[in-house]
Amino acid sequence: MASVATAAAEAAESRESEQVLVRPVTTFRPKLLLGSLLAGGVMGLLFYSWGYQIVNDIGVAGISRPNFWGFYIVNFVFWIGISHAGTLISAILRVTQAEWRRPVTRCAEAITTFALMIGGLFPLIHLGRPWVFWYMVPLPTSRGIWPNFRSPLMWDIMAISTYLLGSMLYLFLPMIPDMAILRDKTMKDAPGSLRTLFFRVLAMGWRGTPQQWHSLEAGIKAMAVIIIPVAISVHTIVSWDFAMAIQPMWHSAIFGPYFVVGAIYSGIAVLMVAMYLLRRGMGIGEYLSDKVFNNLGLLFLAFAMMWSYFTFAEHLTVWYGSEHAEMAVFNLRLYGPAAWVFWTMIVTNVVIPLLILPFPKGRSPLGTAIVGLGVLVGMWIERYLIVVNTLSLPRLDFTVGSYSPSWTELGILVGSAGMFVFLYFTFVQLIPIVSIWEVREGEHIRDHKAQTIIAGEEA
Amino acid sequence: MGSFHAVFARPEQARTALARLASDGVSSDDIEMRSSAPLDHHLLPHGASVSSRVPWHALIGGILGGIAFFSMVKFTSEAYPLPTGGMPIVPLPTSGIITFEGMAIGAILMTVGTVLFECGLPGLRSVAGPLDHHLADDHVLITVQCGEDASTVWADGALETARS
Repeated sequence: MASVATAAAEAAESRESEQVLVRPVTTFRPKLLLGSLLAGGVMGLLFYSWGYQIVNDIGVAGISRPNFWGFYIVNFVFWIGISHAGTLISAILRVTQAEWRRPVTRCAEAITTFALMIGGLFPLIHLGRPWVFWYMVPLPTSRGIWPNFRSPLMWDIMAISTYLLGSMLYLFLPMIPDMAILRDKTMKDAPGSLRTLFFRVLAMGWRGTPQQWHSLEAGIKAMAVIIIPVAISVHTIVSWDFAMAIQPMWHSAIFGPYFVVGAIYSGIAVLMVAMYLLRRGMGIGEYLSDKVFNNLGLLFLAFAMMWSYFTFAEHLTVWYGSEHAEMAVFNLRLYGPAAWVFWTMIVTNVVIPLLILPFPKGRSPLGTAIVGLGVLVGMWIERYLIVVNTLSLPRLDFTVGSYSPSWTELGILVGSAGMFVFLYFTFVQLIPIVSIWEVREGEHIRDHKAQTIIAGEEA
Repeated sequence: MGSFHAVFARPEQARTALARLASDGVSSDDIEMRSSAPLDHHLLPHGASVSSRVPWHALIGGILGGIAFFSMVKFTSEAYPLPTGGMPIVPLPTSGIITFEGMAIGAILMTVGTVLFECGLPGLRSVAGPLDHHLADDHVLITVQCGEDASTVWADGALETARS
């Protein structure tokens, strides 16, 4: 009986500690709101710059022949890469039934959804005239032209739309029981409030019967299995935007896996930074514990090594082949006037992670967050080098040219970061950032196992 | 028709109460158990069972989505032929990519649709019960449907058994 009493006391304690998850969404938190407003102000830069570009036309951007892509496509690839933080990592952890996943999944899945929304904006921004976007949508039109499904750009549209739809639903499905918990809680405390109505609508009448739990868990498992290949397909297809062109240092067979590894690497980086900030800012160290950081830090280390290996392999084959056009881009990247950018990337993506992450102390919350920040910078540089170096020195060298971004492009870049922070801050104030029911389920499983062991010993 | 509600702090207590209800001959159709987190799958009213067709529906959705998207690519590309310089109008490798995404969309939509259907969501007519707020505290709620004039002796007994 003593064990049962202990379990009950622990359960009561955990209900108390749960308040730290519930409070930000049930009470007014001025600091969080201030954070949202500040980030919203930075986000305004994006819409101001974009609006300025729409009014004054695409010429205000720094892109020009032969650098037609510039910052916009760099940012597109970067944000789509970041989106691999959540849904993919969360799905892998769910499929492998890693118990420590429980506090991580939602904060990771939210990153995916918001990063995809932002990444999806960049092709529109790059169009210059975003209102002609519908030309890419397979709608019967009077133009007599149909989207070219043989083009990697069309594959992008299909893959990113699928991933965005899947990620939003994958974020929403496990949210329903938490909305019901908050509905039941606020119905008692403030039945007529707007917040209660919000939770009621999102809970959709969830009751928590065994059949509902069974169906929901089956659905989440199925979604996890489906979403993994979709996530891999997304960044593979993004890599094919480059690899399908016969351009130096683009036309590579390993670009698909190289991009996928890079995407997950940058995804884990942003997840580490976000988790560190959530832990510090919201005091949820009990959930986002040192163990979670250590385990994710090991995954981070594995991807640091994989990315280093792919980068080495990619550059080695170019150097060994010594083909004229390829070597021009290679030399520009490694020894050109902006070679320091390349070497900065090597330091942030290879040297620092491999010096810090192998050690348990390096996989502390602060250690992984510092490495994560560096990797974020490094992965953005990687995308910049891939896009801009090759376009500056294309295979047909009568169109060589340089590129420097305009303030419009810089504003949109900074604004996109602000938009991400704004969406995340706002989300944290509306939805518990750690899945309450999944944490409770973990506690039940632990209690059940403990009681089974004690019962076995008594027998 | 009346109902009898009981709140249990721990799943084991609910398990004991369910066993007592079963031994008292209460039909599983009259018992509703609710919780704020999934419990052990063997913790069900006696004679009740749960099942889901989500995996099969996801598979069917994937097949239908794949067929739909491949058909879209094939028939529309043939209806609006773009110059391909002698290359095929509907090449299988590139159509395969669109087909794959269609399979994923079909499987995702069927999965979500099936989950909502099996869960009876959105439950627009769902009315909060008098003890629902206990669910927020991770308690287990058992509701038994019974006649207005039914004796609750058996229910009291079940509660006592669970408490002991």
